[in-house]
Formats: sequence, structure tokens, C-alpha cells
Amino acid sequence: MKVTLKVWKQNGKNGQGELKSYESPDVSPDCSFLEMLDLVNNDLESKNQEPIGFDSDCREGICGTCGMVINGVAHGPGHGTATCQLYMRQFKDGDVLTLEPWRATAFPVIKDLVVDRSAFDRIIQAGGYISVGTGAAPDGNAIPVPKENADLAMDAAACIGCGACVASCKNASAMLFVSAKVSHLALLPQGEPERERRVIAMVEQMDKEGFGACTNEGECEAACPKQISISNIARLNREYWRAKLLEQPVRVEKGG
Amino acid sequence: MRVTSILLKVLMAITGLAWFGFSITHLTANFLILKGADAFNGYAEGLAKFGPLLWVAEAGLVLLLLAHVGSAFRVTRMNKVARPQGYVVSQTRGEATLGSRTMAIGGVILLAFLIIHVKMFKFGDWSGGNGLHGLVVRSFKNPLIVGGYVLAMIAFGLHLSHGVASAFQTLGILKPSWRPRLKEIGFFIGWAIAFGFAALPIATFFFV
Ligand code: HEM
Ligand code: SF4
Ligand code: FES
Repeated sequence: MKVTLKVWKQNGKNGQGELKSYESPDVSPDCSFLEMLDLVNNDLESKNQEPIGFDSDCREGICGTCGMVINGVAHGPGHGTATCQLYMRQFKDGDVLTLEPWRATAFPVIKDLVVDRSAFDRIIQAGGYISVGTGAAPDGNAIPVPKENADLAMDAAACIGCGACVASCKNASAMLFVSAKVSHLALLPQGEPERERRVIAMVEQMDKEGFGACTNEGECEAACPKQISISNIARLNREYWRAKLLEQPVRVEKGG
Repeated sequence: MRVTSILLKVLMAITGLAWFGFSITHLTANFLILKGADAFNGYAEGLAKFGPLLWVAEAGLVLLLLAHVGSAFRVTRMNKVARPQGYVVSQTRGEATLGSRTMAIGGVILLAFLIIHVKMFKFGDWSGGNGLHGLVVRSFKNPLIVGGYVLAMIAFGLHLSHGVASAFQTLGILKPSWRPRLKEIGFFIGWAIAFGFAALPIATFFFV
């Protein structure tokens, strides 16, 4: 099967972008979507033309590197899958596929479909450390965690930081990502000591990076390859105003 | 205190819900219009007897609205700045609704409506016979006014069809298991209230 690609070509974040057309070679329906792009790029390189810039790493849906918007949908037509988990059989012979990068002020384009997601890393950094004893591995079940919380924390921890939530949100809001990270630790005793500090710092960093504010539409949840629930955003908001209410004013001790 | 996106959203949600609550009491009282001039005017005069207490309540409503519009304006601008360039091909995954996509423009229509509405009735001329009831009935005999009210109530229904559920989600006060039902309940209540408000001018136009 063959498809026509219309790919957003852009050099750097200030570059003037535009769509450029490419024809794929004849590929098997069982070829993965990214392998198809590899084949297109092999072709281009053999003709000494510039390949399409796209990002990938694990190619098994666990690293979050490969995001792109395919025909207006983040990570393409799959449900609960990342771009690298798409196969050509999910498309039809002769399809025209428009490929665009994540579009958000906080995710500047590096090249074509590759964006800089380090804003996410800075949000994680702002969250800081957790206080756990180091040394020998702790005994299993030494710290009791209710089963329900363990499950919710595990679901939230599944977030791979791909940014599809930002890409699919009309406000380019990062609240699904931030809520997953905040929930994951806020639900566990291990996250308790820094619970208030962490949520305030992560939300402030999120705003500083220039992400939008959630409108509770739910497009992010539908696009998320890990199906992170937007009830995490409700928890994020609750954690945030709870932290604001509990926040201790910083006391400045008088010098002697 | 730093004004963050979440604080703005929480402010917008609380003030929006407060107005939502007011609109329910307002709608209930308005049905007295259909009962006749004495019932309705009696209610309006009863309210006026509260004097300063009423002014405080009215000032509170104005402040709530200003806070709602102010936070909505800031959030909307923040969201535009976050996504200056849209997609060439854009498609939803079916979660977006007409209401969720028209909150800002619908809000502007509501603001214009509220100003006209308050000027028309609260600060209108009550002396043309039958007091406030007479003014309302005479106004609602004008097809242009009735049409305008119905249009404004469509905007209101759209705004609430997304806004009510959205506000509860923003405040994060309900159990997650409520969420699917919440979306439906919010949608239903929102449109029910808008239909209720729209029914009054229509009923007055045809039947009073
Ligand atoms: C009777 C009047 C009104 C009521 C009952 C009302 C109610 C609400 C509610 C419940 C929300 C949801 C808050 C949330 O998402 O957390 C909301 C959001 C909003 N309102 Fe209103 N509102 C009213 C008037 C207005 C006016 C006059 C404006 C603007 C001029 C406005 C603009 C907005 C905007 C922009 C949002 C944000 C929606 C979003 O998150 O995308 N509203 N409103
Ligand atoms: S919440 Fe989902 S869509 Fe957002 S970064 Fe995490 S895995 Fe990706
Ligand atoms: S390449 Fe790792 S998630 Fe797709």
C-alpha cells in the first residue's frame, strides 16, 4: 500500500513552516507507521534530499518521544497507543496523511515534527525530591498503602510524558501531565512529606512555561496513549488549593 | 499571593456557580409573572423592603460577575498565548462540545444581555401602569425583545451546558465515579434553566 504524506517542514522555532508533500514507497500493511517514515527517509537520503525530521526512541510506547499529530489527531487514529504503535493497516491505500508537530508555545519546534519538550522536565524538576530512607531495600508492605490508592497511583504513574495532552488540548494545557505526576506521589505515603510544596511548585512552573489552563473538555484524556483520566486534574486542583490553605507563611527569624 | 492558572480557574468556577445558583432562584421567582400582576409586584415590593440588605446582595452579585468575567478573560488570553498557531488539519476526538468551544464568545453575549436586561427592567420605567409586571408584559409583547431574549438564552444554555459540570470538575469536590453522570446532569440542568427563562417571554408574548 502507498500513502501520500503532507508533512510540516520547519527549521527551528522561528522558522517559517509549511506543508510539503511526499509519496511513500509501496509498504506492507503490517509495516509500522514509523518504519514507513524510515523508508520514506531512506528514499529521500538516497536522492540526496533532506529527510523528514521526526523523533522516536523505544518504539514500543513507553518512552513518550514519538508524538506527532496525524490528520488533526495527536498520536493518530489509535486508542491508548502512541505514534510508534501505529501500523499501516490502520490506514487505507491511497490515504493522504497530514503530519504536524505538537503545537504549543511551551513546545518550540526544533525541526519539522520534532519539538522540544524540556518544559516537562523543568516541571518535574520543580517538583523536587521525595523523602525516603536510603540503604537496604525496605521490607515489602512495611509501609501500608490502601489498595485503591495503590491502583490510582499506579495508573497515574503510567504517564510517559509524551505531551499528547498538550497537543490535543485547545488551550495547550499541560494539566493532564502535571496532574498525573502530582497524583502519583500525592496518593502514596512516600510522597507525603513534600506534598504541599510539590504541587505548588509544579503548578507555578507549569504556568511559567506558558501552558494554558484546562477547560475540562476531555480531549486530552481521549488522546492520551496511557489513558490517564482527567479525574487526576480534579485531584490536582484539589491538591493545589488544599496546599494553598495549609501553606505556612515563611517565617523570617530575627538575627541576633 | 501568586495568581496561578488554577487559582483563576477556581475563582471562575466559584463565581460561575454562585451566579448559576442565583439564576435558579431568579427563574423560580419569575414564574410569578404568569400568576399575575399582584403576585409578581408583591414579590418585587417585598424584595425592595429589604432595603440596604438588598443593596448588599446586589453589590455582591456585581462583584461576583466582575470576578467571573475578569478571571475568564485572563484564562482565555492565557490559553490563546499558549497556542498561537493552530493545526492545519484539526479534528476532535469527540469530547469537545459546542458549549465547550463557545464559552468565551457566549460569555460576552451573556454580559451584553445582562447589562441590557438590568437596564430594561431594574432601571426601567415602572410607572406605566401595573408596575414592574406591566413593564415586563409590555416589553415581552415586542417580538424583537422576545427574539433577543430567546437568543440570549440559547447562549446561556450553551454556557451552562459545559460550565456547570466544568466548575465541579475544576473544584475537584466530587468523587471521580461521579464524572460521567456529572457531565450529563450539568448538560441537562443547564439547558433546563435556559429553556425555563426563554419560556417566560414566549409565554407572555402569546398568552398573557
Ligand atoms: C449568569 C451569568 C453566568 C453564569 C451563570 C456563568 C457560569 C459559568 C460557569 C459555571 C463556568 C464554569 C467554570 C469552570 O469551567 O470552572 C463558566 C465559565 C466561563 N464563563 Fe461564565 N457564567 C456567566 C456569565 C459569564 C460572562 C458574562 C462571561 C464573559 C463575559 C463569562 C465567561 C466565561 C468564560 C470565558 C468561561 C471559561 C470557560 C472555560 O473554561 O473555557 N461567563 N461560567
Ligand atoms: S498524560 Fe498522557 S498524553 Fe499527557 S504526557 Fe502523560 S502519557 Fe502523554
Ligand atoms: S518511541 Fe517511545 S513511546 Fe513511541
